[in-house]
Amino acid sequence: MIQITRRADVTAVHSLLSVAIAAVLTIVISTGVLFLTAKAPVDALSQLLTYPYQGGTIMVQWSKALNMAAYLGVMGLGLSICYRANVWNIGAEGQFAMGGIGAFGTWLLLGSPTAAWAIPCLLIGGALAGLLWASIPALLKTRANTNELLTSLMLVYVAAQTLFFVSNGPWQAPVRYSPPQTIVLPETVQLNAMLTGVPTFHAGLPIALGLFVVIALLVLYTPFGYRLKVTETTPRAARFAGYSPAATVWAVFLLSGALSGVMGAIYLLGDIGYVTEESNFLRGFGFSAIVVAFLGRLHPVGILFAALLLGYVAGGASWIQANLREDDSIAGFIEVIALMSTLASALFLQYRVTWRGIIAQTQESP
Amino acid sequence: MEWAYLVLTLVSVLNFATPLLLAATGELVVEKSGVLNLGVEGMMIVGAMTAYFVGAHIDLEVCTVPHFSGVGCLVGTSSLPFERFAMVVLTAGLAGVALSLLFALLVLGFRSNQVATGLGLTLLGLTLTNALGAGSGDLKVGRVETVLGTTVNEWGIWGPLLNMNPMVWLTIGLCFAVGWALTHTRLGLIIRAIGENHDSAHTLGLPVVWIRLGAISFGGLCAGMAGAYLSMIQIGAPLWKEGITAGAGWLALALILFATWRAERVVFGALIFGFTLALELRLQTLPGLPSWFVPWLLPSLPYLIPIVVLTLISLDARAIRRNAPASLGKLFEPGS
Repeated sequence: MIQITRRADVTAVHSLLSVAIAAVLTIVISTGVLFLTAKAPVDALSQLLTYPYQGGTIMVQWSKALNMAAYLGVMGLGLSICYRANVWNIGAEGQFAMGGIGAFGTWLLLGSPTAAWAIPCLLIGGALAGLLWASIPALLKTRANTNELLTSLMLVYVAAQTLFFVSNGPWQAPVRYSPPQTIVLPETVQLNAMLTGVPTFHAGLPIALGLFVVIALLVLYTPFGYRLKVTETTPRAARFAGYSPAATVWAVFLLSGALSGVMGAIYLLGDIGYVTEESNFLRGFGFSAIVVAFLGRLHPVGILFAALLLGYVAGGASWIQANLREDDSIAGFIEVIALMSTLASALFLQYRVTWRGIIAQTQESP
Repeated sequence: MEWAYLVLTLVSVLNFATPLLLAATGELVVEKSGVLNLGVEGMMIVGAMTAYFVGAHIDLEVCTVPHFSGVGCLVGTSSLPFERFAMVVLTAGLAGVALSLLFALLVLGFRSNQVATGLGLTLLGLTLTNALGAGSGDLKVGRVETVLGTTVNEWGIWGPLLNMNPMVWLTIGLCFAVGWALTHTRLGLIIRAIGENHDSAHTLGLPVVWIRLGAISFGGLCAGMAGAYLSMIQIGAPLWKEGITAGAGWLALALILFATWRAERVVFGALIFGFTLALELRLQTLPGLPSWFVPWLLPSLPYLIPIVVLTLISLDARAIRRNAPASLGKLFEPGS
């Protein structure tokens, strides 16, 4: 018989133990899935793990992993702030899309400038668009107590439809592309590659890193972060402390929406260069960011590692697809397996799991 | 003419409402037992894919033009007789159950966060179907045979309604039956007691975990079968494509909130949501619409209208509190 009792003292050791359990589970199950699905599992596994050193340009491969990690990390950190406050924003994908649309719209509003001063304006425009999109569920939550989880998610579909609409309608390029898209932003307002020949290592990465550090410091060392911590662990205490629940909802929604929006703008300016239909513009960063937030157990350091891990795995999956003709869906599987393992292993963080044998009972008796 | 149009509209509404209603009926039982499973979308899409793949393997080849030698076939079609279709639906339901059991293991066994686990289940369903569904290109599934078949013409304008797949009527019946069972049977009372206060129920000696396991599996069964309706029936001929659910699972979850956990209002809400989905096909031919109406607003309506109706319902916070299972989504910690 298994006995589960809540730990009164959760220490760093327990935390490391549960992470280790999650890691072992993830590795074992993911390897199992890879061996079941891959055509040449041994090659696939070894190349998935060591792909930057498999003959491609090392910097290119690493930058792909870092690029992905930047999106997942910043958006995941924003979402973790929401989840700490018990606010279920799962619409980061839509806020990201609106960020891209907002940045492009800002460029058009400014009169299609070709000078570099437009770049910060576009980033701010993207952040504002994401913020506005996130303010809809925040408004409905605070004014009408509408379930923010469902409204934020529904708005992802509306944002995707908006991508379809702008790239087919008012902003469609005069030259018809398939699928339809807007014109490509001039290179002078794009975020340039910082190393020649490494297109995914662009100026958006240091911006993302800077954002990540600032928000992490905000969460860890400011009164706002303390407020989140109180709201997360003891919502009752937060009310007694006089923290307005509505203000918390607004703050976390606007902050995470702006972060997703600015990442959408960076994606537009650094990686893709134009707005197009959902299937080509959205790559599921907003949903993977939810996974990253939970993998990191809502802590900035954990989120950093989780984002790097998923970014690295995604790079590896696309490498084995290109080189070994394996299915790159393994990245998605590893993501889900890691999430499930992390959620399951939280049991060992918060509880003491013992076999209720004679020994266990004598240990508990004093 | 007018009546015929109304009947066709009703057919369209019921057609869109049925998968939402079926999935919501299952989730209603899950939530009444105090568990929030956000994996409906994932279980639905796995059900949809399973139905298509199983259907492709058990449909019947019917020879319309036999080879002149008498051996073989020149022109053939495939079709899915109703009893085989029932097997397909059941298999899809079992696929939903399999996914829901993983959710149950994590939530009930490992006491994981229900919201995060449910989201993970949806991601798992989408990942699974993206990986496995890619090889569906060469599969062909025969049309599901209707029950009335050729006698439909005798029914005049009511023909299309009467000739709908029986799943439509069974689903509406199931929802009312579940509503009745929750309020009038011993099992229903036990489920609601556990959902209201799992600690009291535990103290009374009710098997909280086992009842919840049953409820979660029932939710998986319904979601899987709802997925089968989406891929096999909804658009007339069987179809599988990536992301075919397009948020139907989330609409089912919204439906329960809209209905404030009452079965008869789930049926009513399903008809409203079905109507918004049917609207897209009906309105796009209207003349004189602004340029953003058809490409932007019309396809967004199925997601915008639920937001609006949820907001209207939520304004009355007391009604929500009165009907919401008090232990919904809360952690059950026996013996501590």
